Formats: sequence, C-alpha cells, structure tokens
Amino acid sequence: MINLAARPKGKRIQLMATCLCDAFYDGVAKATVEVLEHAGCEIEFPENQTCCGQPAFNCGQWPAARQVMRHTASVFAGDQPIIVPSGSCAAMMFHGSSLEFEHEPDRAAIEQVGGRTWELGDYLVNGLGLTEWPGEFKARVAFHRACHTRGTASGPAVLQLLQSIRGLEIVPFGEGEQCCGFGGTFSVSFPNVSTAMGELKLEHLREAAPDYIVSGDMSCLMHLGGLAERDGQPLKMLHFVQILRDALHQHHGSPTR
Amino acid sequence: MARQLVDTYAKRLDPLVQKAVHDNSAAGTGKRYTILGEDYADADSLRKLAGAIRQHSIDHLDEYLAQAETSLTQRGAKVHYAVTADDACRAVSDILKAAGATRVVKSKSMVSEEIHLNDHLAAEGIESVETDLGEYIIQIDGDHPSHIVKPIIHKMRGDIARSFEREGLGDYNDDPEVITRRARKFMRGKYLAADAGITGANFVSAESGRLVLVTNEGNSRFCLAPTRIHIALVGIEKVVPSDADLGVLLNLLGRSATGQQLTVYTEFINGPARPDQPSGPREMHVIFVDNRRTEVLASDCREILRCIRCGACLNVCPVYRQASGHAYRSVYPGPVGAVLSPLLAGDKFNELADLPKASSLCGACNEVCPVDIPIPDLLLRLRNRAHQEHVPSPGTPPMAGFALLGSHPLIWRSAMMFGVAKDYVPMLDKLPVPYLGDWLKTRTLPKWRGGKFRSWIKSRPRRNGGSAQ
Amino acid sequence: MSAARETIFAAIHAALAPLPRRETRPHVPLGVAEPQWLGAETDNVALFLRRARATGTVCFTSLAECEAWLLGQKAAKVYLADSLAAWSSQLGAGLDLTLEYHRDQVDVIDAALTPAAGAIAESGSIIMTDGSSPDRLSELAPWIHIAVVQRETIHRSIAEAIAAMPDDPNIIWVTGPSKTADVEGILIQGVHGPGVQACLLV
Repeated sequence: MINLAARPKGKRIQLMATCLCDAFYDGVAKATVEVLEHAGCEIEFPENQTCCGQPAFNCGQWPAARQVMRHTASVFAGDQPIIVPSGSCAAMMFHGSSLEFEHEPDRAAIEQVGGRTWELGDYLVNGLGLTEWPGEFKARVAFHRACHTRGTASGPAVLQLLQSIRGLEIVPFGEGEQCCGFGGTFSVSFPNVSTAMGELKLEHLREAAPDYIVSGDMSCLMHLGGLAERDGQPLKMLHFVQILRDALHQHHGSPTR
Repeated sequence: MARQLVDTYAKRLDPLVQKAVHDNSAAGTGKRYTILGEDYADADSLRKLAGAIRQHSIDHLDEYLAQAETSLTQRGAKVHYAVTADDACRAVSDILKAAGATRVVKSKSMVSEEIHLNDHLAAEGIESVETDLGEYIIQIDGDHPSHIVKPIIHKMRGDIARSFEREGLGDYNDDPEVITRRARKFMRGKYLAADAGITGANFVSAESGRLVLVTNEGNSRFCLAPTRIHIALVGIEKVVPSDADLGVLLNLLGRSATGQQLTVYTEFINGPARPDQPSGPREMHVIFVDNRRTEVLASDCREILRCIRCGACLNVCPVYRQASGHAYRSVYPGPVGAVLSPLLAGDKFNELADLPKASSLCGACNEVCPVDIPIPDLLLRLRNRAHQEHVPSPGTPPMAGFALLGSHPLIWRSAMMFGVAKDYVPMLDKLPVPYLGDWLKTRTLPKWRGGKFRSWIKSRPRRNGGSAQ
Repeated sequence: MSAARETIFAAIHAALAPLPRRETRPHVPLGVAEPQWLGAETDNVALFLRRARATGTVCFTSLAECEAWLLGQKAAKVYLADSLAAWSSQLGAGLDLTLEYHRDQVDVIDAALTPAAGAIAESGSIIMTDGSSPDRLSELAPWIHIAVVQRETIHRSIAEAIAAMPDDPNIIWVTGPSKTADVEGILIQGVHGPGVQACLLV
C-alpha cells in the first residue's frame, strides 16, 4: 500500500485533468489551473493523458484497467506532485492501482506514480499548507463529500477552505454520509437502485435549499445534476474549485462558468 | 437486456417495506454514530485495533483454535469438528440422539442458518424452536432473515399478527407489546420442555475457552437454564487470543450493532453448569464448523473472516437500504454478504457472483466496520475473479474499447474532438459512460465539450513558468 | 483426534503457509477501549448507579427503599435466595415470601431477590455467575429480578471486570431489562427475561 504521508509537496506540479473534465467539464479544469496558479504553482499539463482506468477497474476487468494505468503512469513520469480535481480519480491513482498491480512485476513503478498523486483540496491544505482562501463568495452551499475521499484528508480540507471564504455559508443536509448513487458503471447496471439513491440525495439537498450543490467530484454532480434536470427541477452545481476561483474575483452570486 | 438481480429485487420491493428497511437501517446508523462520537475521541483507532486483533487471530487460526479446544476440553466441554454443513447437522443430531433428546430450543445463530439446521432436525424427527422473537417469526412463516441483527426488518406488525393468529397464539392483535407477551408465554413452555439448547457464539477466547454470547432478549440464557444439554455451533474463525481482546471487541460490537454500550446480556460460557447449580446443562458440546471458511482463508479475501456480525455495514449501505436483505439470496446480506456469500458458495460461486457488483463502491461499509474490513477492496477482487472466470454480468460493458482509447493518446484526443462533431451520442458506448439508454432514462447528460480544455491550456500564456507539454 | 479435525487443521495450515506476512499480535492496553468520560469518574458507586439507571435498571440503596417499591409493584409471590434469608423478617409484612425455588414455579414467582457476583460501573452491568446464583432460572424467569450487589464488588471498567473474571463456567453481565426491537424497531421490555431488572446496593 502507498504511504500517503510521504507524497511530494512541491509547487512544480503535473495536472491530471480527468476524463470527465476532458469530455464535459472544461470549466472545472480551467478553474483548477487558475486556482493552482494563484497558489503559486508551476503547472505542467502532459498532453498524452487519457484516464486513470477506473471504469474498467470497477467492472472487474483488471487487464483492461492495467493497460490504461500503465499508459497513465508513463505519461506522468517524473518526481513532482500530480494534482487531480477529483477524489475518485485520485483514489484510483494511490489506492486502486496498488490493488490491481498487486501481483504485477511493474507494481513499484505504478506505485511511484500513485505515491505522488493528490486530490486537489488535500494538496492545497496539506500539501501547500493553506489554511484559508481569500475573497468573497456570497452563497449558501451544500457540500457533498464525494465517497472516494472517505478516510482521506480531502473532505475536511475542502470544508476548511470553503468555510474561510467571506460570505459563504455551508448548509447541512440529511444523511450526508450517503452516496449519490453514481458509482460509474453501477449507475447503468443497477439503474433502479442508483436512481433511487440519487433521488434520496436530491430530496435531502432540496430540503436544505442551498444556492449551490458543491462537491470535489464531477461524477457525483453529473449524476445528481442529470437526475435533477430530468425531474424538471434543475439544481445549480459547482466543483469547489470553481468557488475558490470565483471567490478571487469577489463573486456576488451570479452564475459562474 | 438481462438485469442485475439485486436491481430487480429493489424494483419489485413493496415501497412500504423499502421505507421500513431504509428508516430502520438509517436509525441504526445514526445511533451507532452518536454513541461512538460521545464515547470516543478517536473511534477510528479503536476500530483499527479491533481489526488487527481479528486479523492476527485468523492469521494464527491453527494456534488459537487448538488452544481453544484444549481450554474447553479441560473444563469439561466436548469439542467436535465439522468440515461441511452436512457434517455439522449430523454432529448435532448425533449428540441429541445419543442423549435421547427430542426437543430443542435454539438461540439465534448465523452458522445454524448457513447449514440449514432446522430442516435437518425436522427431518430427523427432532422439534427445534427458534427462540429469538424475530427468528421465531421467520421460522413459523417459512421465511428467511433479511438482516443479520434484525431478521424481520422486512415485516410489518400486521404480517406478524396474522402469523401469530394462524399459529394459535391468540386473536389478531398487532400491538408489538401484545405480540411480545404472547411470544414470552409460548416460549416458556418450550424452554421448560426442551432437552437441549443450541446456541452460536459471538467470540471464543482461546486462553480461557470462554464462548461469548450476546443477546438483548435473554433467550440464550433461557436456552441454557432448564435444559440438560448445550450445543454451540461456532465458526472456526470466531477465536481470539485472550479474554482481554474480548473487552475491545465487546465495546465495539454493541455500539456498532444497536448503538448500545453493551447488549443487555453478555454471557461467558466455558463448560457445563457447576455441579452445585440446580439449573443448566450438564453436558456442553462445541462444534467448530468449517463450511468453506478454510477456503476463504486461502483466498485473497480472507479479511472478511474478521467479521463480528454486527450488521453496521448493512445499516449504512445505500444499496441494502433500497433492495433489502432477500435480494442477496443468501444467509449473509448487505456488504458483508456480498463478499462472504459468493465465497461460501464454493462451486456455486457463479450463482452469487453478481453480489460484489451490487455496490457503488462508496466505502461507507468500511468506514463503519468495527474491525475495519476493507470491504470495497474485497468486492473489487471478487469482480476481478468473476471476470477471469467468465461469469456473465448483465449491464456491465466490455472494456476492451475503452482500454484501447485510454492507452492511445492520439485516438483519445480525436475521440474527444469527434464527440463534439457527432453531437456526442455515438461515442458514449466507448467512453466511461456506457449503456447510454439506462443512463438517459432517469438522467440527462451534460453538453459534450471534448477537447475544449486542451485547446484552452495550449493557447494560453504561461504562468509561474508552467507549460502544456 | 477425528478425521474432521485433521482435515480442517490441514486446510488451515495450507491456507496460512503461503502468506508473506501474518498480522502480529497487537498490544491491547487495559484501558484502551474505555469511553473518554470514564477518566473523570472517581466514585464507582455513583457511576454504577448512574449508568445502571441509564440502561433502565431500577436501583435501590437500602433494603427499606427496595421493600417499599416492591409493595407498590403488587408482586404476589416473592422468592428470597437462601443466602439472603436473614432479610425475611425485615421484608415480611405485606410480601408473600418464599425461600424455595423450583422449576415448576416459573410462572408463580413474580419477583426474586438473589445475590449478584459483582457489578461494572462503566456500563452499569450486574454480574451473575453459577457460583453466586441460587438457580439460573430464578434470576431469569420472574418478571422482576432484584440483584443484590455489594458495593465493594463493583468493578470500575469492563476491562477490569474481564481481567477479574472468576473461574466459573457461566458468567453473565446483565445491562438493563430484557428487551427487543424486532417488531418495526419498537422497543419492548421483558421478552424472555425480566421485564424489570432491579439492583439493591448493600
């Protein structure tokens, strides 16, 4: 298993944008770049990056998953921190990879890459040592802790930063520890259970009536947002990095990119 | 298209039952959270210690099982071993027949569910009565438990009232207090008439041979008061090194299972009743049951043998809350069952290989587990095994196309651009969101913006010395 | 030994032999699982009373208090353990006492007073053993059970009670009255064991 405490903390970083940002959420990837630069980071974006391979890994198709992970490990060669604006992809890099390569000869090389990977919020707080975030963002937000950050420092880190922003109020909601129902291919192979889980989450979120639903994983927001829109009651969703970025511009609650 | 069975069960579940299962489970999760938070500044460290105790125990099962046997034998108990479920059933009926016993009262035991003991005893002409209120209702209904700790979480009081009326326990009355009093009265007769009491064991201390039994109702005490024979069915993995280890585990078991510091009755038993004690069994038999546990021990999922059957992972599991226990079609439902049941199925692994898929891998089960079992990791290993063994899995897309894209950056990048040109739809069966129809039935998809970020970062002036490469 | 035993141990050995490492035995300090509030408690008796009452156990600190309460319960027949026979004159008025217990009286005796082997302050539990119990049934079958606990036998913590367990084949910790929540999660007291669990400190 990878020792997360030993990860590098420097400001020369490699950005892993994630496949979801590549395909749908360029705004989140852009905000990530702007926030990291504001924090003084020198960003390298390896253009040959694709995906962490998690879809195949979660399906149990580990040979396919390893094929993608080997590619990813070669793309992210080096010794600097790798920053990912997704708790799920980060966990794939520093936890899932160890599992799928347990009996592989190149396990050490894969774990070297996983052992440099940080989820964005965790990196800002525990890598760079930030304790607060400047600026203003006048809104009530509900923070959905993405499940793949359980047992890591990401959830508390993101909350710490959000709570330090002037004008921002975190609103609690029921059954906060419960999953949104996405789970990758789970959402299509178990459509009834997945939808029911998502609807329950939406019910709790709507009850709290936040201005924005915020998470560190676009996959959760894609699921919840897609359900809410299909219900005909769309909700405003933001990655926390979009709030950090907009706070820098003294955001006053108007729609963001 | 063929469907995942757990998903189909969830869809067909009576909404009232689903709500009952959900609310009861969520309440259990809440109580657990409250008491652990009030009592421990760092409950996580305690969970990890308990996990280490259990892992150490099963990693040294040969030593501790032998030591437990010696400790029990020295104190006058008879120790037996059963390799298979059939062996275990036969061991029980052989003991009963040798003692001329025809009536048995049973305390709740998951092992006895595993080996279908009641069916076997009935076939042997031995009356066996479940004494736990929930288990008794399961027995008279010919039903199966749907939760490890709360076996009738899926039943409404009206169902129970009708069952009691049918069994001649009184006119229809669905007041839970009346139901409980009727069971109390009925069971009194059964306890007093019984020759033998059959129990399981939550733990066995190798050092002292003490079997630990925990109940809230007091039925296991009653099974071991007026009877003359005690038979304990114990999975071989239940041993721990010493009594001191029991202290840690008991502190977590009650809190995790029912939000109690301790269950009402905690019994430590390591032999027949004292000769000067007027009540209590004069014979004690402990049957250590394998029933494929050694296969689990030899597998890469052996951590599941740490399980202390608290049910916390069921309570917190969003899939269990939607599907209820019968969806798992086995003795052990929920996250622990999704790992354990296919493993205990042996050559029928295929029939239950869908269970490890019935999870969004949200990890809540691991977070609440009092012995820190990495359940999501074990689910993933079993998914990998099912794939290697070519078990068909409805709704799971083949990932070869994805692997090709994901390992060839040029193709990947053109696919991103192509997705925009083709208004995104045809690409999706090759991307991480397969089987689009099932997605779109209840959700929309965001607009395809493949490649936009790449062009943005490439064209943008460098800051802090960074670059696109 | 039996063939089954040999088969099982051979399978265990075969499973464990290839393991690259086995979990070492963790150190389990005596107070490691104690709740954080226990450290501030200095009075075992006061703590026991508070915790026992929190679990639903009715507690008395004098025989007179116990007797007055029993009279209010309208218990028709009260069993007094032989070792407590000296109390029969004090408890006499208004209570139908017996010093005998037989299994055919399971439904006759409404309340029983028997000596406990000890108690646990941390959890408010009463400890009973085959050695302390006049009859297992007498402490289990009556609707009301009153355990007589000597103050000096109260252990501070669960861990200390475990460390001090006597050599007895049947040790029982009782933490409140018998209960179930099997029917729709609704709590009902008095399933198989006592519906009222009480404790008299002496």
